[in-house]
Amino acid sequence: MRLFLHPPGPLSQIGRVLWCAAIAVFAAVLSLVWSSPARADDSEARKAESPYFHVNSSQPGTDRLPLKSTAVDVRIAGVIADVTVVQHYRNEGQRPIEARYVFPGSTQSAVYAMNVRLGDRLLTARIKEKQAARVEYEAAKKEGRTSALLEQHRPNVFEMNVANILPGDDVRVELHYTELLSPTDARYGFVFPTVVGPRYAGAPSAGGAMPAMPYLKEGEATPATFDIRVAIDSPVPVKEVTSSSHDVRVDDVGTPHVKVALAPAGNRPANNRDFLLDYRLAGDRIESGLMLFRGGDENYFLGLIEPPKAAPSRSINPRDYVFVVDISGSMHGYPLETAKVLLQNLIGSLRPSDTFNVLLFSGSNRMLAPESVPATRANIDRAMETIRAMGGNGSTEIVPALKRLAALPKAEGVSRSVIVVTDGYVNVESEVFQLVRQHLSHQNVFAFGIGSSVNRHLIEGLARAGMGEAFIVTKPAEAAAQAERLRKMIDSPVLTNVKLRFEGLDAYDVEPARQPDVLGGRPVVVFGKWKGDTTHAKLIVEGRSGDGPYRIEMATAGHEDNTSSALRLLWARQRIAALSDQEALEGGTTQKEAITALGLQHGLLTQYTSFIAVDKIVRNPNPALSPSVDQPSPLPEGVSNLAIGAEVPSTPEPAAWLALLVVVGVVGATLFTRRRA
Amino acid sequence: MTRIVVPTSESGRWLGRLDRLPPAAWLGLQAAALWPHWRWAAARVADGSDDPLGLAALAAFALLVAREVPRMSARPSGRWWAAAAVATGAATLATFWLPPLVGAVFAALAVACGARAFLPSGHPSLPMAGLAVLALPVVSSLQFYAGFPLRVVTAQLSTWILQLAGLAAERAGTAMVVEGKLVIVDAPCSGVQMVWMAYFCACAVAGFGRLADRVFLRRLPAAGLFVLAGNVVRNSALVAMEATGRPVSEALHQGIGLVVLAAVCAGVVWVIRGGRDGTQ
Repeated sequence: MRLFLHPPGPLSQIGRVLWCAAIAVFAAVLSLVWSSPARADDSEARKAESPYFHVNSSQPGTDRLPLKSTAVDVRIAGVIADVTVVQHYRNEGQRPIEARYVFPGSTQSAVYAMNVRLGDRLLTARIKEKQAARVEYEAAKKEGRTSALLEQHRPNVFEMNVANILPGDDVRVELHYTELLSPTDARYGFVFPTVVGPRYAGAPSAGGAMPAMPYLKEGEATPATFDIRVAIDSPVPVKEVTSSSHDVRVDDVGTPHVKVALAPAGNRPANNRDFLLDYRLAGDRIESGLMLFRGGDENYFLGLIEPPKAAPSRSINPRDYVFVVDISGSMHGYPLETAKVLLQNLIGSLRPSDTFNVLLFSGSNRMLAPESVPATRANIDRAMETIRAMGGNGSTEIVPALKRLAALPKAEGVSRSVIVVTDGYVNVESEVFQLVRQHLSHQNVFAFGIGSSVNRHLIEGLARAGMGEAFIVTKPAEAAAQAERLRKMIDSPVLTNVKLRFEGLDAYDVEPARQPDVLGGRPVVVFGKWKGDTTHAKLIVEGRSGDGPYRIEMATAGHEDNTSSALRLLWARQRIAALSDQEALEGGTTQKEAITALGLQHGLLTQYTSFIAVDKIVRNPNPALSPSVDQPSPLPEGVSNLAIGAEVPSTPEPAAWLALLVVVGVVGATLFTRRRA
Repeated sequence: MTRIVVPTSESGRWLGRLDRLPPAAWLGLQAAALWPHWRWAAARVADGSDDPLGLAALAAFALLVAREVPRMSARPSGRWWAAAAVATGAATLATFWLPPLVGAVFAALAVACGARAFLPSGHPSLPMAGLAVLALPVVSSLQFYAGFPLRVVTAQLSTWILQLAGLAAERAGTAMVVEGKLVIVDAPCSGVQMVWMAYFCACAVAGFGRLADRVFLRRLPAAGLFVLAGNVVRNSALVAMEATGRPVSEALHQGIGLVVLAAVCAGVVWVIRGGRDGTQ
């Protein structure tokens, strides 16, 4: 205290020497502290303290990319595909890890089995209620046992968790699913999605259980390999087997047994877009038919009936078209360019008696006009100008856009068709389906998915909720053809008031309960259960076509097939989809019990059931130290980095060096003027 | 008559040499003794945890000291010398128990006190201490501790401004929904960088202008107000443009930010120099 009250005089010579010595001691102490063994290990050392910014660096000794390969084996018999996906994980790091990987599935897939192979041992997964499976997985993980958990986040998005993969471990996860191939225009299409596009979740209230997914940057290929092989077995010869997405090698075309494999594709990665395979059967007709399966407890059927050819409508109601176009960041580039081509084709072909409007949406939305305008040349030119000027940026707020659409006034007696164009990279499917079913189901809602790996769940669900049709355009060259297909459909429905019934057979639990209008080129598909004798029964389809009443009958005799056990799974999958739609409409988890029961009874993966496989042996003695690694997915081909970054606009300060230049300039100028003054 | 003492012993000659060391050398020795703190600061800047803005403050501090070297007394002020010793000790002790940034702040203040000890009585000390602290990598920590409140305040004030301008604006946390469009006020929008710039500006102008400490202290709060107002104006303008549906180009974004920053700095300089009459 005295020191401050009575300041000491200048230091003496000895004082200065002591001061020097004291500083030297401080320096020595600090040096010792700095180089003490406590900081010798880099992993434990506090690097330069950075409380806010995360420095993105992988942990030493951890394998960030444990998925090494995906191999897909597809066997198509008739209209049913049975798919086996084998994912091969290997830990090439030095620590045990938990691998998390989000991957896509087909929208119609019924996932019915999973196996895990650990070296020579086989672990068979069981279906369990989702929470119970999660608890069992976490427990096994903590105990150090290798375990795998497969969960469904969306009907077409799955998450695989594999815990306690030891360094050098080879883990092979086999996944089995089946699906119905629904033909269009006498062509059969099989789709295997390879990547989940980045989803925009919207406001926090939008919810959704999509996991946070890491993505590789645009153009960055994943080192994981991808291979797919398809075998088609048909009663009639298979012809015209093509893939618009991949280079394929096709063997034995023109015979009933065709084999398809990926051709070497050079440097172009194969797993950043959907694998699409199209084929036609001899006769150029949809193989209309009825399949009946007699099971142990219950019997199942599948009806696939080709509709009549489109007939010219004699009297067409006044028609109104509203084009709802996504111009968000993920549409930037070729999806948006394709959308422009598509709209130009559609709008350009409207008749002057038609009316139309265009609603563009991203983070916000705007309309061409407050009300629909006649399709005059001037209005079409104006719409074209608007479309040409649009650029992809911002978020994907589809729900507000659809709400605005629901509020759009419509004249009495006008038939309105809504055409939604998007890549579907959103996370709000339930809200969208609910909105469409509540407000737009009296209009025909057509969904146009554009992109190399669109969210087919959203696109197909939109069309289903709006009683319309789904279209997927994966390449710009397909836009014109798909636009023409849509134009034909919306020109005049092929079959309306469709009703299916059995005579002589007791059919129940029929899916869908009500058939939508048939818009052309696509068969009527119905699943259900049956009781009774098939010898003298028949399936009757009735409806109204452009030429008047329509009726077709099909005898059930001879259609029983004991190899069609997949019908049981496909029926359950269809019922789960219907219950999920209902749940989306009602909100909450009103159908949880029914869906869980169906999943457990049929051994199917659903939003409420998961597959779990647990090893009996404890292999990792220290599971707490196993880091979790998220396998990054490649960006879908054609999707730019805009889709995963800067989606929500913000207002960052200017670059630091520019700002500093300005400040130094201001200070310098101040001092300079001061000196001159 | 000047008395000249000529040491005759070996130790006396060494003491004499020490006595002839210039003040800058003493300061250099003190700074060297605190090198672990500077090494930490350099590592933090080098690993990308913080922007190297501190280099500008360090340069300004060095210029300020260099300019004052001719006025430095060979006999340092005991009070400031003691303060430098206490701060040096605190910096050393902080190494054991406190976060590195706190130790580095003590070290910076120790050097500032050391420099002040050699300056004539009445010379301002606060701008020098301010520049020394600003020379450290403090922006990230400021962002961590002050970033969120600044973002909330900025978002709220911007919301009111946009509402006054007739736009449908609402604040949700540190995000704003304007005309149905979500715009976030995230960390890079907080204005923390502008805070650093404004205080750097204030310290540099006051230091080179030899502004008395109590006057500097009285005028300094105005710098904070200028920063807040500037950031709100910048944010409001950019949010309003984003809400029109057309993305703001990068060049325009930067341009608006720089113009506002220049205006804020001009305001700070104006206040620090004493407003219109320029009295200090």
